[in-house]
Amino acid sequence: MSTRWYPIYQKGNPQLRVFLPNFWMKLVRPVIKQPPNVVQFSCSMEMTKHDIKNYLEKIYNVKCVDVRTRIHMPKTRLEPTFGYVIKDDDVKYAYVTLPKGEEFQFPDLFELDQTKKDEEANQEKALKQSQESYDKFLEKNKERENMPGWFSV
Amino acid sequence: MSVIRLNNRFYQKLRSCRYSSTVTRLEEEYTSTPNYPPILDLSPEKKRERMKDESYDQIKAVKTVEEKQIKLNMPKYYGFKSYMLLENKCGYNMLPMTQHATRTHLVVNKGLPDYYKEFNVDELANKLKSEVEEALSIEIDGYQRLHDLTNEALEKEDLEDIVSSSLIKRINRIIMNELSLDLQDTQVDIEPRIEASWNVGGIVPPSSVVNSRKGVPWLKDRIDEPTDRVMVYKGVPILTLRSKLPLKSVIPLSESENPDLDVPVFDCDPRTIGTTTEYRHMTNIPGFWPGDPHTFGLLSYHKRGYMHLRKDRYNDLNDDQEAIHRQGILTAFGWLMAQAHYLGFNTFNDLTYPLVTQTVVTNGKTWSFYTYQMNTTMLCERFFKSNPRRNICWATDQMDLFEDIADGKLIGFNDEVLKNLLKFYLNRPESPLGINLTPYLSNEEKLCSDYEDDHKRKWLEDMFKFLMSNRPRHKLVYEIYAWEKIYKIDNKTRFMDKRLRPFELFQHPYQRRLDETCPRYIPKKFREDVKRVKGGSYRFEKTYYP
Repeated sequence: MSTRWYPIYQKGNPQLRVFLPNFWMKLVRPVIKQPPNVVQFSCSMEMTKHDIKNYLEKIYNVKCVDVRTRIHMPKTRLEPTFGYVIKDDDVKYAYVTLPKGEEFQFPDLFELDQTKKDEEANQEKALKQSQESYDKFLEKNKERENMPGWFSV
Repeated sequence: MSVIRLNNRFYQKLRSCRYSSTVTRLEEEYTSTPNYPPILDLSPEKKRERMKDESYDQIKAVKTVEEKQIKLNMPKYYGFKSYMLLENKCGYNMLPMTQHATRTHLVVNKGLPDYYKEFNVDELANKLKSEVEEALSIEIDGYQRLHDLTNEALEKEDLEDIVSSSLIKRINRIIMNELSLDLQDTQVDIEPRIEASWNVGGIVPPSSVVNSRKGVPWLKDRIDEPTDRVMVYKGVPILTLRSKLPLKSVIPLSESENPDLDVPVFDCDPRTIGTTTEYRHMTNIPGFWPGDPHTFGLLSYHKRGYMHLRKDRYNDLNDDQEAIHRQGILTAFGWLMAQAHYLGFNTFNDLTYPLVTQTVVTNGKTWSFYTYQMNTTMLCERFFKSNPRRNICWATDQMDLFEDIADGKLIGFNDEVLKNLLKFYLNRPESPLGINLTPYLSNEEKLCSDYEDDHKRKWLEDMFKFLMSNRPRHKLVYEIYAWEKIYKIDNKTRFMDKRLRPFELFQHPYQRRLDETCPRYIPKKFREDVKRVKGGSYRFEKTYYP
């Protein structure tokens, strides 16, 4: 149930035609491979399976056959200064099954064109090579401290 | 202190060294043709494959049915993580996953396959029609049942199952009475417990496996390589018929290698479509214990009350039909798999001849017929790609036996359904000529009851029954408490605490093997010969792990 309540109508009040609950759903990329007709969302903790189904069907006109939800506990971590344990808020994930034959692929939002990709790959490769050769140089000279670089057999 | 006292193994080593100095004669060392050892591929994956093959051969070499079951369970003390494929629970769009897990090619026809053409049942159907009609009208609408009188609030799926099971028992009795001469050698089981377990490959690895592979240099290229999953089928048919001999195969075994028999690939984790997991021992129970001569299934009837739940949840007629096909495939495969285990085959050692069974899924009014031929049990990852055989299921669409009941009379009786059912009964098993039905069982001892040693027999029987019961261990696997997970495992905030818990002592309970346990202590009074020496294994019961 939404935490926002539909205002109870008192005689003489203006009638509200639109009611907006504070529900939200966010499409997320699944970590584990899902069948093509299963879509993963993270959603407001207050939403039930029925809410999720209605949200998708009534607002976005997406037919969903089945909804399964789980609540995910995020990893805890240590606070850097004082060293106490911090936990982020829990997340509710919904796995929505679309009718058979429908397919959903998570969009590649930051798609780079091929030339840019190649350029980046080349740069990375060059950086890696120079790093490797420097490591090699260090390895070779690690037992010859205070010797000039050109002094070699 | 002497070395022998300090290290027990030293003495054993010393003993084995005694003969090392024996000189072998020169002639024995040489043969006329050189004998070279085989050249083996030493790559890590080939080594691993050889290791697996060796363990599968060990299972094959085990003598008896019960010991084979214990052998399969040897790797896990607390059981395997198993995916539960239940007969009466079916999510949305589960057919492709089931076909993948059982490697089944599905053929859907209007009627039964040509295999049944030879049976002429018109006369028999006419003879039995009135009796079947009477049974239907009485069972469905004829009398008050116990729950009617006690006003018990039963769900509609339970009500349907009650009616269908009593109806099927009655119809089976009518047909058995008529065909009593033909069906003399047939056993009838009422609501038997059927369970089967097998390994399935070709499924993407779970994230824990992916993470562990990332850390190993030689596995880096093979991070996404599929892994094995243990599948478990559990079901309770209304009634099963079985015989001493197998049914004749629908198609020869060699034809099952035809690549045109396509099987859908479902490589996602079955949990993504709603399958659950449990830790269980691998159990294989076809509704009877080993030693029963009637080892081959002929026919099984299954309930379909759970379809009501699906209707409330999914409301998709097309998917309902698929769910029934899924049940037909799964129940037939599960039953045959359990039978195959009693014949000495398992998920690592393939069938040498096909097994056939017939399945009926019904609620009394709507009937579906399935003929299933199992050609392979070897679905584990090691052979998943190399094994060309597929199992085949011939299915019919759902058919209504009658349209309605009015005033105790049936309207629109469909003879075709009754004829199909009678054809299943007339399909009699045949003696397979020249086939050894149990090639992987020993000739002398096929069951543990064939052993001479009383103690061994009893021990094996107890262990087998314990594993098959799947009761939890007396000492359950330890629980990691939430505070431990937060303050000890995820964040090391309590490093001064004494390390006492298994996760701090590098112990992994789920990797404990079945035999990693202390054998039973025998009190002095019951020991046969009490030795004077302190210590030694005689204080504990002898074990017979295969």
